[in-house]
Amino acid sequence: MSVHLYQIVVVGIASVMIFQGIKEFAKREAGQTVLKLCVRLLVWGGMALISVYPNFTWYLSKIIGIEDNINAVMVTGFLFVFLIIFKLLSAIEKIEQNISEITRKEALNEAHDRIQKLRLEILELKKKQ
Amino acid sequence: MSEKIAIVIPVYNEAGAIGDVIEDVRAHGYTSIVVVDDGSDDDSFYIAAAYDVVALRHKINRGKGAAVKTGIMAANLLDVDVVVTMDGDGQHDPADIAPLIQPILDNTSDVVLGSRLLNKEEMPFVKVIANSFGNFFTWLLYGILVSDSQSGYRAYSRYAALIIDTKADKYEYDSKVIREIKNNRLRYTEVPVQTLYTEYSMQKKNKQGFVNGLITLYRMVWKMIA
Repeated sequence: MSVHLYQIVVVGIASVMIFQGIKEFAKREAGQTVLKLCVRLLVWGGMALISVYPNFTWYLSKIIGIEDNINAVMVTGFLFVFLIIFKLLSAIEKIEQNISEITRKEALNEAHDRIQKLRLEILELKKKQ
Repeated sequence: MSEKIAIVIPVYNEAGAIGDVIEDVRAHGYTSIVVVDDGSDDDSFYIAAAYDVVALRHKINRGKGAAVKTGIMAANLLDVDVVVTMDGDGQHDPADIAPLIQPILDNTSDVVLGSRLLNKEEMPFVKVIANSFGNFFTWLLYGILVSDSQSGYRAYSRYAALIIDTKADKYEYDSKVIREIKNNRLRYTEVPVQTLYTEYSMQKKNKQGFVNGLITLYRMVWKMIA
């Protein structure tokens, strides 16, 4: 069985993405759930599976009803476009979260004195009871 | 008892209602009020600040979820035992705070979800349908079926307010809380709440309409794979 370059590339990328997912899940990073890990394993594992066992697409094509296999250029193109979109959207998401975090910290800092004042009032009331 | 409870009110362009909402909440005996202005274009922040509440301001609009999260973090700094979140447009009746916090004070629940659909007859039919879709997808993605997954009227115990952590900034926040309930094995219950469809609130642009609903669904799905 001969190994093609695209198979190595796809398996490599899929391995990195799956490894990252498992690492983030194992570290219990915020937002990492079992379902999210499963979806990641399914998407990237599926890509690796199809690249290692291209005949698997035959079953898929039977189910979907498309006779011809997708040619190599299309697959490579779609893979790169998908990868770039995935990374871009992830990066945008991360930036959005960072902006929210900065906005939140600023809001809390500005209200710090008022929060402390109310906190002391609440403590006083609790002591009186 | 009211010193144990903080009321968090996120607002976005609610200058016409926020004053009345604060007064109404105070009239029901709750004095620890946190208002989070989510980058409003109007005077919501200044009006809230004039009522001597803890008024926080997001310099830029980050979404309802982000504002609620900021409010809950501020409430946690106050060392209160219960945190209640409610909308700033006057649709939530402060009279419902008491039944909402009771299961937490009784130590039978960590999170209490106010449900508008347990009083279905008050809700416009379109909203009932939209909420049913929201409930279905929340169940599909997060595994808990509740009667009103999109309600912002909720109460959290101190433990729940500290442990619930989601990065959802927009309207998907309410559904993500359901996920957090499941992930953290929190005890929850649903309590019927009244929705006051006032002239003011009905005139406002629908915040969670069909298109926004689809965007919320997209965000829920995307955050599972990204």
